[in-house]
Amino acid sequence: MEVISERSMTKPTIKYFGKGAEFAIIYFKNIILTIITFGLYYPWAKVEILKYHYQSTELDQTRFSFHATGKEVFRGFIKVYVVFILLYAFLFYALQTQNSFLMFSAIGFFYLFILLIIPFAIHGAVRYRSSRSSWKGIHFKYLGNRTEFFWMYVKGLLITILTLGIYGAWFQVDIRKYIFSHLRFGDLSFDFKGNGGDLFIINLKFIVLVYLTLGIYTFWYYRNMLRFYVNNIRVYQSGREVKFKTNMQAGDVFELIFINVLLIVFTLGIATPWVAVRTLQFFFRFLEIEGELDANVIQQAKYDDYDDATGDDALDFFDIDLL
Amino acid sequence: MPFNTNFFDGKTSRTHRATVHISSLNWRISYVDEYNSPIDILWKSENIKKTDVYTKGLVSFSYGDMFTFQRIESSDKAFIDFINNSEHKNLNSSLDVLLHRSKNKSLTVLLLTLVGLAVIMYFYIIPAVATGFASTLSKENVIDFGDYVFRVITTDLDIDEEASVKLQAFVDEMKIESTFPLQVYVAKSSEMNAFALSGGKMIIFSSLLEKIENEAQLTALIGHEVSHIENRHMLKNLARNLGGGIFVSVLFGDVNGATTVLMDNAHMFTQLSYTRRLEKEADIFGLDIMRNNDVDLHGMPQLFEILQKKSPIDVPTYLSNHPMLKDRIDYTKQIARDQKGVLINSVLKEKWSKIQQAY
Repeated sequence: MEVISERSMTKPTIKYFGKGAEFAIIYFKNIILTIITFGLYYPWAKVEILKYHYQSTELDQTRFSFHATGKEVFRGFIKVYVVFILLYAFLFYALQTQNSFLMFSAIGFFYLFILLIIPFAIHGAVRYRSSRSSWKGIHFKYLGNRTEFFWMYVKGLLITILTLGIYGAWFQVDIRKYIFSHLRFGDLSFDFKGNGGDLFIINLKFIVLVYLTLGIYTFWYYRNMLRFYVNNIRVYQSGREVKFKTNMQAGDVFELIFINVLLIVFTLGIATPWVAVRTLQFFFRFLEIEGELDANVIQQAKYDDYDDATGDDALDFFDIDLL
Repeated sequence: MPFNTNFFDGKTSRTHRATVHISSLNWRISYVDEYNSPIDILWKSENIKKTDVYTKGLVSFSYGDMFTFQRIESSDKAFIDFINNSEHKNLNSSLDVLLHRSKNKSLTVLLLTLVGLAVIMYFYIIPAVATGFASTLSKENVIDFGDYVFRVITTDLDIDEEASVKLQAFVDEMKIESTFPLQVYVAKSSEMNAFALSGGKMIIFSSLLEKIENEAQLTALIGHEVSHIENRHMLKNLARNLGGGIFVSVLFGDVNGATTVLMDNAHMFTQLSYTRRLEKEADIFGLDIMRNNDVDLHGMPQLFEILQKKSPIDVPTYLSNHPMLKDRIDYTKQIARDQKGVLINSVLKEKWSKIQQAY
């Protein structure tokens, strides 16, 4: 037994250890179980698949861990199913009455509901997923306020519609800034430093160049997007700043996508788990962390409402990707 | 035998190099903390949770029901072997250990199972459930559904009220045992077509009606369409289509665009073959209706000949939802040849002449 020295400043490295064949076994096993249970097993399948990717990701020689349970996610799914069945029942009822007022209000209500549930879904998913994610025994925690986030979302959505989508880039960045600035990992905090103008330029260049280059520009676009989303992430530990950096080239993106598409098409989708692992390996291969982190002194944040986060598991149903 | 592990106390991120001694009732975790004091922690076996799914070279466990959780993570080979051989239900999944023992064998078995299951689901279970659903749906619901479709499609159709009344008079005189109230409409159109909706409504396009030469041919057409109605073909087709389509998109939908398009098309092909079966069923059933009404069964092949003239290029059978007209002419002629005596239904003949006057 040895004592690890008090000062443990390291330049952390991040690695992904997932293996195609290993993941494929887990993936196919879960698909089979989902089919023979007519879909009821899906929440457990989803949790197991996420667990595999989390535990395969290593930072500073320790793996990440995902603590959600199939039972929690299943409970959430039931709630969402009930709401949607009621919603559809109302919609069908209204449609078959042929009463135009009822029909229009039902359709309006339906779409409005779908549109307005999105901010709640994002909030719920971030809160639930972060509470269930840990590293070195320390859990993530999301401190965002649901009402505040909802109104920010509605405002952003309205301006985006009014500006015919131009504001969309700023809107997306605002959402990301809000989420990151309210995310904690023990006593570490996060931020997102990107700005809407940069994202707008990236999108604009894509729209102009993609046709001129017959689509080839797409690879540069993916690279720019990844760089934008990754390189603007900041982590703060007692005043020190840690940055992420990804340095892939368009050629790397091309190789990834080209081989992924070939694999999927020629195996009729059987290669899906291998493609998932390849893609994550690719992502982490280019991911670098700049700055030093004291990986031994992070204090667990208070979590009075750890179990309460399951109140939001329902919204995890919408499968929002947080990577 | 003690195993090496990293221990995290759940309060800070400090990595403690520790050892675990495992007995049947508890695990004892020992380490020396940052102040050089030896620490011993006891985990009761029943509260230990495995936190990873099977993976090579790693085991991890957490302890406790209430946040915060203590945690160990180890890549000690002896520890991993011990866990994989443990018979304690909380510590490993024997299925996973078995599956990962020989990867290639497991993958082959899993893929074969998956393909087998998908085939059984797609070709047997889903069609059976869908057809069962369509057959057991209550009469009122079938009529409501048909009415709904009728309302939607008639907004684009120009219904000829006068001709519809005359054609309805013809149908009313036909001897048909129908569960549904039969209503027939003539739509003004240059297209040669006719179709039946669930719950009793039929729509005949005017240009087809103009080409029909006698009451036997008209009886053949109505007989064919009534058979679709009686056998709930539209509903069965829709239910199967929807069920199979959802299954295919769930199975391949997440994957990517190209595969989805490929699979959707394959699904369309199998659907077409089902629709062709329904058409043949409707032809045979239609001939029965003709027989009950004492009209010349040759009306059916004659009707197909009229349709054939209109579309000189016969689409190959596998590309079409109706069996090739040539096939249909052949098999209906064969059945018509067996009919004894030349038959005339004077009531239908009279109703037919009234329709003819309108054109």
